[in-house]
Amino acid sequence: MLNQAVVEDVLNAALETGGDFAEVFVEDRTSSVLQMLGGDVDNGVSGRDFGVGIRILDGTFAVYAYTNDADRDNLIKVARAAAQAIRGQATGRALDLRKSVLDNRHEVKLLPQDVAKAKQVEWMRRAHLAAKAVDPVIAQTKIGFLTNDQRVLIANSDGLFVEDRRVRSRMMIEAIASRGTEKQTGFYGPGAHAGLEYFANLDIEHYARVAGETAKTMIDAEFAPSGKMPVILDNEFGGVIFHEACGHGLEATSVAKGASVFAGKMGQQVASPLVTAVDDGTIPNGWGSQNIDDEGAPTQRNVLIENGILKGYLIDKVGSRKMNMASTGSSRRESYKFAPTSRMTNTYIAAGQSTPEEIIANTEYALYAKYLGGGSVNTATGDFNFAVREGYIVRNGKIEKPVRGATLIGKGIEVLQRIDMVGQNLGYGQGMCGSVSGSIPADVGQPMIRVSELTVGGRKGGQ
Amino acid sequence: MDLQQFRTELFARGRELGYADMEVYYQADKSTSVRVFKGEIDSYTVAEKAGLSFRGSIGGKMGYSFTERLDESSIEFLLTEARANAELLQGGEIEELFGGSDQYPELDLYAPELAKLDPSVLIEAAKEMERTALAVDPRVDLINYCMVTNSEAEVSIINTQGLDCTVKSSLVYGGLSAVAKDGEEVTSALDSGFVTDDLARLDFTGIATRAAKESVAKLGAQPVESGQYPVILRNNVAAQLLNAFSEVFSGEAAEKGLSKLQGRVGDQVAGANITLVDDALLPGGPGSVPFDSEGTATARLEVIREGQLVTMLHNRKSAKKAGVSSTGNAVKGSYKSTVSIAPNNFVLQPGTKSLDELIAGTERGLMLVELQGIHAGTNPVSGDFSLSCLGFLIEGGQVARPVNQITVSGNFFDLLQSVEELGNDLRFHAPGRGACGAPSIKIAALSIAGK
Repeated sequence: MLNQAVVEDVLNAALETGGDFAEVFVEDRTSSVLQMLGGDVDNGVSGRDFGVGIRILDGTFAVYAYTNDADRDNLIKVARAAAQAIRGQATGRALDLRKSVLDNRHEVKLLPQDVAKAKQVEWMRRAHLAAKAVDPVIAQTKIGFLTNDQRVLIANSDGLFVEDRRVRSRMMIEAIASRGTEKQTGFYGPGAHAGLEYFANLDIEHYARVAGETAKTMIDAEFAPSGKMPVILDNEFGGVIFHEACGHGLEATSVAKGASVFAGKMGQQVASPLVTAVDDGTIPNGWGSQNIDDEGAPTQRNVLIENGILKGYLIDKVGSRKMNMASTGSSRRESYKFAPTSRMTNTYIAAGQSTPEEIIANTEYALYAKYLGGGSVNTATGDFNFAVREGYIVRNGKIEKPVRGATLIGKGIEVLQRIDMVGQNLGYGQGMCGSVSGSIPADVGQPMIRVSELTVGGRKGGQ
Repeated sequence: MDLQQFRTELFARGRELGYADMEVYYQADKSTSVRVFKGEIDSYTVAEKAGLSFRGSIGGKMGYSFTERLDESSIEFLLTEARANAELLQGGEIEELFGGSDQYPELDLYAPELAKLDPSVLIEAAKEMERTALAVDPRVDLINYCMVTNSEAEVSIINTQGLDCTVKSSLVYGGLSAVAKDGEEVTSALDSGFVTDDLARLDFTGIATRAAKESVAKLGAQPVESGQYPVILRNNVAAQLLNAFSEVFSGEAAEKGLSKLQGRVGDQVAGANITLVDDALLPGGPGSVPFDSEGTATARLEVIREGQLVTMLHNRKSAKKAGVSSTGNAVKGSYKSTVSIAPNNFVLQPGTKSLDELIAGTERGLMLVELQGIHAGTNPVSGDFSLSCLGFLIEGGQVARPVNQITVSGNFFDLLQSVEELGNDLRFHAPGRGACGAPSIKIAALSIAGK
């Protein structure tokens, strides 16, 4: 992608003003997006991203520069311009780049370019047909299909010189139910860090039917009640609660500044003893998995919370310098256009003891969120919110009726402490996570859990 | 390879491969950003990026592709990929390239003085902003985001129908988030601003002071009882909500059955006090632009006049289907996007009262100052929203106390019909195309979930 001699020259130029660390991140990515509306392909774009990011550190001060022009002379010019932000003397330390070869943990059998786009369209059409077949009330479908082949070269003044390739693909299935002027949507978005064999082997119809069923159920549902009540969150994408409510607050980005409710709480009880939470970037073919993070450190399985006790944070290089703690292989970025920082990979609450049936049967009254939409969090205050895509009222141990339009709000630590039942059915859901270093693929996950009390926002008054 | 040479070779090779018409959309940006934390530069970023979007008609269909690398191999890549994408298209809609409008508005969007700004000016401004915010109140604990960015962008669209237009623009942005602390309680507040012409007009002190004061004012917040409340959506919140629902005005969304405004042009869709204008020519507007992403000249466009829906927003394709002309609202999010539809400067026309007067005229109600989870909690298809929010309780015409841990729910289309009063304090939500501006507005009643 860029030869070693050029990389060395760029790193040396970057260190001319006394920086103590320099890094080059080269990215060459081809991607394709297909969009199908109502069974017809109405949009297709593919392209190539190419650029180089140069980062210089002086202690915890970070300078970042990037360009699409990878000519040696231009890269040196850009590195020197960036170095101007540091006012010191070069240390004259000699570079010793050692090329390392990765052991690839994420097997890719079918590269996107080796599968005809017509085949991808066929998979999309299967999703469309299955979603439509759920019920005549499904008036419209929107199916997206993304493929992404990212090659990176990461080199730094500590001697690292490594290349990696990340191939990802994902299908976004949206079903829209319509009755009169009412419209409700259902969604499923399965994806993996894998080649297109993932779709060749996937039960596409299953996911499309779920999206269709959600839309159908919600169009006939009444508005959700509002107020404080117990909430049951189902598995897979239900894990977005932990991602939003806690995961972001465990990233070095906010912990190092003391701007997180989890700062300074290592070793303390921050959650119910039923909660063990993990961020694992090594899961084979996981949507958020990578062999190495975006500063070249191997990804790891990081235990964040064990039996309710805070055990770890997610730490990148700058974070490790600020916090005096080791990097956890958690540095990520959307592309060369972003300096990397601490982020999540595949984050989940580990399986517990209860069966989902037991949890429902043992609940007198609750909002049961079967599928959740997205959400967000203010890491400084811990306030989070997320939308319920498919919800029900549970009464006297039974699912009573569907309800729509509910939002869940609360504070991270409070909700963690109020988890009073944890199921056995751990599952993962795919999402895109947006933060300072851009939008990155991330898995969320959990088994079914019950929270003793959360605030539910709905359009109907109290229960 | 330079752009001129690349384009010439690309079009020549495209003709050989059977392309009838071809277009390149080239976008180049430069920026310098500084983030400050505790009196020191926390990060400093210098960016130069450029990308080229290609589209071409082949076999009666329009194919798209893009690249960030202008070299020989990219020419074959663009043409092959665009053809493969075109071949998949169904539905028989023919998209045509545009030769250009007769006249384009003259807009002064580029400020050479901003391009020459020394980075030290940005660094000092950011440091000063942080100092100002910390000095507002001892309870302001830290500034967790303090950033100043100076950027310029250039867009050129050139096609084989004769279109050849270029625009260059500048922008300086400042933003700050203050965190206040009182015992165990933590609150935060964000404020930002931008200018497109003169740095002296960017009120860094105002940004810092507003964010800091608001973070402190939020301390001691409690939920309110659930129920229906008269609600003032402060200008930033009203603009954010308008932005979240702006796609309901898209002619394409309507045509595809994804907007409830489908077929409603000419109808009364809002209260008589509502006039909504998309003004691409607004001086100093964050989304001001002389031509849209298809090269159509822009103009000042009334979308809702005194409650009546006058037009949808159109690009050439949606306009053709609706039997009207493009309204100059074709937009490409970037060179990676196909042409879609978005407003330029979408402005809810202000009224005459100040925010203080709106508050004074409210016996008991809420003023909302922050919405959270805006994309997850809004459904542009149905118009429903249910959003976590923060604000203040108003009692006897005065701000009584801060409120948190509540959600506000309602429906955007109902809301357009139930605006009681509009303030005079127009504010934009964020810079860039698709920018939405609104004054503070008072709604008769919205559903609040709290205690």
